Formats: sequence, C-alpha cells, structure tokens
Amino acid sequence: MSRFITRRKILAGGAASLLAAPWVARAQANTLRIGMQSILSGPIALLGTSSRNSLMMEQDRINASGGFLGRQIEFVFRDSKGQPQEAARIARELVNTTGCELLVDAEASSASFAVQEVVRDLGIACIHTNSETSSLTADPKIRAPTAFRVARQGVHDAVAGSIYLAAFANDKKLNKWATCSPDYAYGRDTTAQYLQFFKQFKPDVEVITDAWPKLGQPDFTEVITKLIQAKPQALFTLLYAGDLSAFVNQGNIYALFSQMTVATPNVDYPVLAAIKNLPVGIQSATRYLETFPDTPANKEWGQAYLKKWNERPTNWSWQNAVAMKFYEEAIKKANSLDGKALAAALTGMKIKTPFGADGTITMRDDHTTIGYAIGWGQTTTKEPFIVDVKAADWGKILEFETEWKKQQKYI
Amino acid sequence: MREIAIAAISLIVVLAIPLLHRSPAFEDFVIRLSAMALFATSLNLLVGNTGMVSFGHGMFYGLGAYAFALTMQMTDLSLPVAAALAVLVTAFAALCVGAICVRLSTDYFAFITLAVQMLFYSVIISWQSLTGGDQGLRGGIPRREIFGFELASQLHMYQFCAIMAVLGLLALRHISASPFGQTLRMIRDNENRASFLGIVLWRARLWAFTIAGAFAGLGGVLAALFVSGAYPELADWPNSGQAIFAVMLGGINSFLGPVLGAAILLALNDVVTRITEYQGLVLGIVILAFALGLRRGVLDFLRLAWPGRIR
Amino acid sequence: MDLSALGACLTTSACVVTQTTSGLIVGMLLFLVAAGLTLIFGVLKVVNFAHGTFYMLGGYVAYSTLGATDSYTLSVLSAALAMALFGVLFERALISRVYGSNVLMQLLICYAVVLIFDDLVKIVWGPEFHAMGMPVAFQVPPLFIAGGVVPPFYLVLIGIAALIAIVLSLALSMTRFGKTVRAAAINPQMVSALGVNTTLLFAIVFAIGGGLAGLAGALAAPVRSLSPGMGFSILIESFIVTVIGGMGSIAGALVAALMIGMVRGFGTIGFPKFTDGLIYIMMIAILLLRPQGLFGRRA
Repeated sequence: MSRFITRRKILAGGAASLLAAPWVARAQANTLRIGMQSILSGPIALLGTSSRNSLMMEQDRINASGGFLGRQIEFVFRDSKGQPQEAARIARELVNTTGCELLVDAEASSASFAVQEVVRDLGIACIHTNSETSSLTADPKIRAPTAFRVARQGVHDAVAGSIYLAAFANDKKLNKWATCSPDYAYGRDTTAQYLQFFKQFKPDVEVITDAWPKLGQPDFTEVITKLIQAKPQALFTLLYAGDLSAFVNQGNIYALFSQMTVATPNVDYPVLAAIKNLPVGIQSATRYLETFPDTPANKEWGQAYLKKWNERPTNWSWQNAVAMKFYEEAIKKANSLDGKALAAALTGMKIKTPFGADGTITMRDDHTTIGYAIGWGQTTTKEPFIVDVKAADWGKILEFETEWKKQQKYI
Repeated sequence: MREIAIAAISLIVVLAIPLLHRSPAFEDFVIRLSAMALFATSLNLLVGNTGMVSFGHGMFYGLGAYAFALTMQMTDLSLPVAAALAVLVTAFAALCVGAICVRLSTDYFAFITLAVQMLFYSVIISWQSLTGGDQGLRGGIPRREIFGFELASQLHMYQFCAIMAVLGLLALRHISASPFGQTLRMIRDNENRASFLGIVLWRARLWAFTIAGAFAGLGGVLAALFVSGAYPELADWPNSGQAIFAVMLGGINSFLGPVLGAAILLALNDVVTRITEYQGLVLGIVILAFALGLRRGVLDFLRLAWPGRIR
Repeated sequence: MDLSALGACLTTSACVVTQTTSGLIVGMLLFLVAAGLTLIFGVLKVVNFAHGTFYMLGGYVAYSTLGATDSYTLSVLSAALAMALFGVLFERALISRVYGSNVLMQLLICYAVVLIFDDLVKIVWGPEFHAMGMPVAFQVPPLFIAGGVVPPFYLVLIGIAALIAIVLSLALSMTRFGKTVRAAAINPQMVSALGVNTTLLFAIVFAIGGGLAGLAGALAAPVRSLSPGMGFSILIESFIVTVIGGMGSIAGALVAALMIGMVRGFGTIGFPKFTDGLIYIMMIAILLLRPQGLFGRRA
C-alpha cells in the first residue's frame, strides 16, 4: 500500500459512501411536506405527542377538503428531545434535505429560539405553536420576518391570572402569599410577571416566602416544609406536569392543601388524569377545557380527539390545530407557499375557531396571537373538573401587555 | 511531514465535495463534526494519552461557546479576535480548574472534574442576566465576515469549519507526537518511573489539561457558530459523555479514533432520527454491539486486526 | 441569597426543628436510593451508571402491580424481586464482560442500557408521566413530633432505610459472606482459587444492589412521578452521596446523605436558587480535602 492511501482511508471512504445515502436529497413529489419538530421523549414528551395527535387530525381534515393549493399535505415528525442544537439541526434538515416547504415548530421555549435563528437564515414560513415565552415575538431583535407564534403568551396569562387572583384574594381576604416555581427561565420570569401584575391589582398583597425547586426534582420535602412553616394563606405555583403531580402527592401527606389555598395556571387534563387524590378548590387556569368556551364546536373537537386518541387534548393540542387553520387561510389568501407572501398574509389575519374567546383569534402585527380563550376557575373531582370558570378580559390584557412591553423596551 | 500531507489531502477532499454535489445535510454534518472532533480529540489528549479520565470536559466546550457568543453579541470585535479571545478565556479557566484538580489520582480526578462541571452548569443556569439561563443566548450571532468567508453562507461556513478542524487536529497531532506527548504517555504507563526520570508530574498534567481545555474551547466556538448562539446543553455533563463515547467508540489509542467516533455518533443520530422516534433504543443497541463485540474502539480494533498496515 | 431568612430560621426553634426533620427525611430517602449504588461500588468496584434505570423500573413495576393487585406490599416486593433478577441478568450478560476494562467501557455499557430501557419504558407505559397514588393505609394526617411535622409514610420509609443501613453494614463487616465478598473484590483469582464461586458471588451482589434500587423506586413511587428518563436525576443524586460518603462505605453514604439533606433543608431557606450549587461545592471540597470521601479507605 502506498504511503498516502492507507487501508484506513479506503475503509473510511467505503463507510462514507454508505453513510452518504441519507444525505442525498430526495426527489420532490407532489405531496406537500410540512416539518414538525418537538419533544417526543423524556419527562415532557406529552408536549410533543399531544401536538402530533392534533396535527394528524388536522392533516386528515385538510386533505379531505383538498389539501393546500390542491396538494395533499404530509407531516414529517422529528424528536429533538428539547435540545437546542439538535432542534437547529433538525429544522435545517427538514427544510434542506427532506424538502419540507412549511414548518410547524412545536418545541418548548429554549429550543424554539434555536429554530428561530434557522428560520431567520432560511426565510421559510414557520409557526411556533408551543413556546410561551413572550420575547420570541415581543423582542424586535428576536422576532423574525417569516416566523409567527400561535400559542398563548406568558404575559397574557400573567395579566389574566393576576386579575382573577386579585379578585379572588380580595374576596376571600387572602393577603399573605407564597410562591413555589421551578427554578428556570419559565418559572422565574413568569412568576415575576404574575407578581408584578398581582401587586398592581392588589397592592396590599404580601409575598412572605418563595421556594425554587429544580425542574424535575424528585423530592420536594424541604420545600413543602419551608412553605408550611411560613404559614401563608395562599400559594401560587408554576409547577406543572410530573412535578406538579409529585408536589401534590407529597403535599398531601403533609396536609399542605388544608393549610393554604393553592393557585396555579397548570392544572390540565393530563395532570387531572394522573393525580388520584387531587385536592378540590385549587384555583386554576383552563389550558384546554372542553367546557370553556362553552360551545358545541369546542365540545365536538374535544370529543373527537378523545375518541381518536383515547386521551384528552392538551393546551398544546389546540394550539397546533389553530396554527394549521392559520396556514390554511393564509395559503388561500396568498395563493403561495413562499415565506414572505405567507408572512404578509398572516400579519393581521383573523380566523374563526372554537378556541377563541369570542369565536375568533387574531394574528397581530408582532407575529403573535391574541383573543384566545383564557379562563380561571376551581377544580373539582368530577367532570368537567374545573368549574365556575370566569373568562379573562382581553381589553385589560392588551392594555397591561402594552405597558409591560414599554417597560421591557420592546416598543 | 506525513501528517501534514494527510491533513492537506483530507482538506482538499472535504473542500472538493461541495463542488461536485451540494448536500446541505452533509454540510451540516461536517460543520457539527468539526466542532465535535476537536472536542473529542482534545479529551483524548487527557484520557488516551495521559490516562486522566475527565468527566467534566464539556465545561470547556460550553465555556468556549458562551465566551465566543457573548463577545460577538456584546462587542464589535471581529470574528477571529472573538474566537481567539474565547479560546484564551477557556485556556485560562482550564488552567485554574486544572490547578485544583490534577493532583488527585484517577478516580477522584474524574469525580472532581464532574463536580466542577456541574457547578459550572449550575452557574450558567443561575446567572440568567448574563447567560440567558436555561434558554441560552438568544437573538443569534451576527454572521460577520472573516478572511473573505461570508459565514451567512452555508458553503463558506462549511469551508471555514473544515479548515479550522483540520488545523486544530494537526496542532493536536503535533503536540501528541512531540516529546511532550511522549512524556504524557510515559506518565500514563508508569507514573513512578516518569517521576524518577525527573518529570514533574503535576506540571505535565496541568499543561495537558490546559491544552485540552483550550482545544475544547475552539470546538465550542464552532458549535456556537453552527447554532448561532450558545446553550447550556453544550456545557452539561451528558455532553461530556458524548465526547467520552466518541473516544471509546472510535479508539482510545488512535489519534483519529475520537474523530471517527464522533462521526459515528453524529451519523447514527442523523440516520436514526429519520427512521424512528425510538432513537435511544437503536443507539443503545448499536453501542452495546460495539462495546461487547469489538471490546475496543473501531480504529484500535482495525489496528489489531491488521497490524503494521495501519499507523 | 436570603441570609436574613436563614438567620431568622436558625434562631427560631420551630423552624430549626421542622427543617432539621425534613432534612432528615430527605437524607434518609437519599440514602435509601443510593444504598444500592454504594454497595455495588464498594464490593465490585463497578460504578453502576445504570442505577437510575433500576430505580425507574422498580417504580414502574410497583405501579403496574398495584394497578393489578391493589396491594402495596405486593407491589414493593415484586419490584424488589424483579430488579434483583434484572441485576443478575445485567451482571451476567453485560458487566461481567468488562470487569477488567477501563471504567469508561463500563460507563459506555451502562449508558447503552439506560438508553434502551428509557425507550422500552416509553413503549410499554407510554411517554406521559404516571402517578401511583398513596396506598389507602397511608392516607392519614401527619404526626407532630417534637414540633416537627412528620407524615407516617415517611416514618415507615425512614425505618426501612435505617434497617437497610444496619443490615448492610453488619453483613459486610461481620458475616462470612460479607468478608468473602469483599475479599473477592480485592483479589478475585485468589478467592476463586480458594474454592469460592466468585461468579455466583458477584451475581448475588448485583442482585442485592439492583434489588435495593428497585425497592427504593417502589417505596418512593407513591409520592413521586413516574416518567421515562426519571432515573437520570436519581443517578446524579446517588453518585454524589456515594462520592462524598466514600465509595463502598455504607456508613459513609448514610452520613453523606444526611449532610446533603441538611444542606437542602436549610439551603432552601438561605440560598433558594443555589441549593444544588452548594452541594457541588461540598462535593468539591470533600474531594480536595479528603478524596476518598468521609468514610472511604485510601485506594
């Protein structure tokens, strides 16, 4: 063998050509491929799987009525495991190699920012469906021309929740509060947002202690005892999914719930289904509730989902459904799949949907949706699980959101 | 000289491929491989060459990424300057960490590097105002020009990363083949003998640790360029694990072992993600096959199978 | 950082008692979970990086058994037995092939097992989280002991953890089996030459270690969430306990676990956002001052 052409090189060459096969781009068929990436494994897998379920239902519906621009649509699903660099790679692969012409980014917050940069680079139309962090669209430095968000926004929930909780606290004379939220960006920033507005609506509220368990922390004991001895009248918590379930179970054996009222935006069907001894009277937002808005259309969709997937829809499910509705209307209007054209069509668009507070949801100029149904009520052990739901006042939400944006120097 | 020739030829081959056929996925792969190859090979300077098993090497990869991304976002420094700064910062950090850790013997060295990495990660997550916390640095890295490369173009990014990787690997090879590298291997094989010969053990180890950290930082710079930002996952210990696996899969006793291992891991990831959502299952089975079947890294296995033919 | 709150707590007896008690609970639970890892390392010098997987599977087996039989005792026993069996299989099929190798090879194999079973669990039980729920027997109000709040369920868990600590320490140091096992770890050829079946010995140790992890998973399941990938945080916790306590020392693991529990108990008041940072600093300090851990033997 010559000096330079070693056996190692030949082997490497052979292996490379074998492995090259997947990278040669596939030929374009007439199917319209739509890329969807999300977290499909790990503790928050439900985020991705419930999004995917909803998108499959949309795929059937849209294809039954002719598809987009006469082409049948087909979703390509990928699991990024929530890792930002993997999310970036997948977004590029979906567009560059798999030939997807539209993106549905169902990632949670951190990875959605990574995808945003890819979308900025590639100029393809993308709708983020699960990221609730406001800065994704509110911050002009982060906003991208062809990227939109069809999802609830942290600041909207914070205003709506604070208004409800301030009224509730005034009614029940609950002035001493404690907070317990997961120690990462969502937990910290959103708790700060809630408290900021809470203090505006109820100036005499006093936060006597706060606890910051780690996300995914198995054992909340020291946090629970800390809370109990501070003796607050009410507890606000942003724990969710498995963490909320563990916290409730551990709190139960300390009789935490008989010592303070609990308020959280995060009691949704999966939590309700999993926790067997959920205490009643928890004040919670409706992430997705079949009975709110109390319309036949909403109930019908919820029932159809339940029938098809044998589990109830989540917040992420309806967000993805609405995203597809936006794409449907925008593609009709622009008669094109081009990023810029769709962006122009989507901006300012208003669609009819069962998940809108008044039957409609609007895509604002800053590429995020408003007008979706937000409600707060309290939990019971039987259907519909959350009762006495009060709808949020969107006028107030928008007013305070604008103020908040000015504070953050976004406008 | 032979190394330089091999490097030159590899570089020419790699740079020639896009001229024949553009494949964005392949180019993405090479860009990511450049970062990971530097990361894994720098780790092997410690593991394979010096016998120092570091579980926390990812902290330097992550530090390089963050230092670079922060410099690019907060200042107007040009890209090469920002990159050099990031590598220097990482080298300095490696020096400090190493000064604390290298005196410990093998097992404990592994644990303390892991503990330092976990502390570092915890600081990244907590110092939200600087690092963006768990969401990382958002808003992208301004894609500036460097030596005529327009990094906004994928082709130029590909070329830039390939060149940086080859140069970096060449430098590491030079260090590994130098008398200093021989010293490290002597320490790995018999540290008592080495110290009887007058070698100051801790100093050699500290040099190795610092150099390894610096090159990991360079890998981090490339990683930051790819994702146009920096994320805590780059500095988390599962990422250190990825480097370790790349070294083990490719061959701990071969210089190019880690590069091959990194290529295998990345390729597996890409291929498996396309086929199934049960990536862990497939990856786990493949790793078991390698570990139980070959019992050593691929290149080590090939060398033993065909001794004398492969350097 | 909230040093004033910490100061206020340390000067209030109610707070000191309550947080000390919760620190004790947290610590004993940590020990319960870490015991299996410590045992296997202490005896076999193998770091079982798949420890979290045993814990996770133990929890899931208990969950399913409870669903099928409505008996918590049966759930716990079946989980422990299932994981003991799994431990034997794991040792025989995989670990035994890499006994002499680089610790990194062992790490690689354990990692592969973790990946495989995280996905298998996802396939069998689904990706969403499950909650086992508290068995009816323990759905009772908490007790008030010396001013501290103690749920009866945790009292039982603490009791079991303490029992395990005592039994394991005594077994390893006093019984003939324990001595044989420790000798075999140091010099397997010699022990084998003396007529002891070291293969069986090592398998038994893995069975016990795995069984302990599964037991811990089952015992903790009523108050924790089950999800694929839950083993990860457990592994880190257990690893820290073992390193601080001293690889292979049961007493060391116990003391380390209690120390960590106390740091968490009071750290959550004084340093609510940096409690885990404190623990890493503690780990680094121990490794610098006494690398073999609190009760470990110098290698």
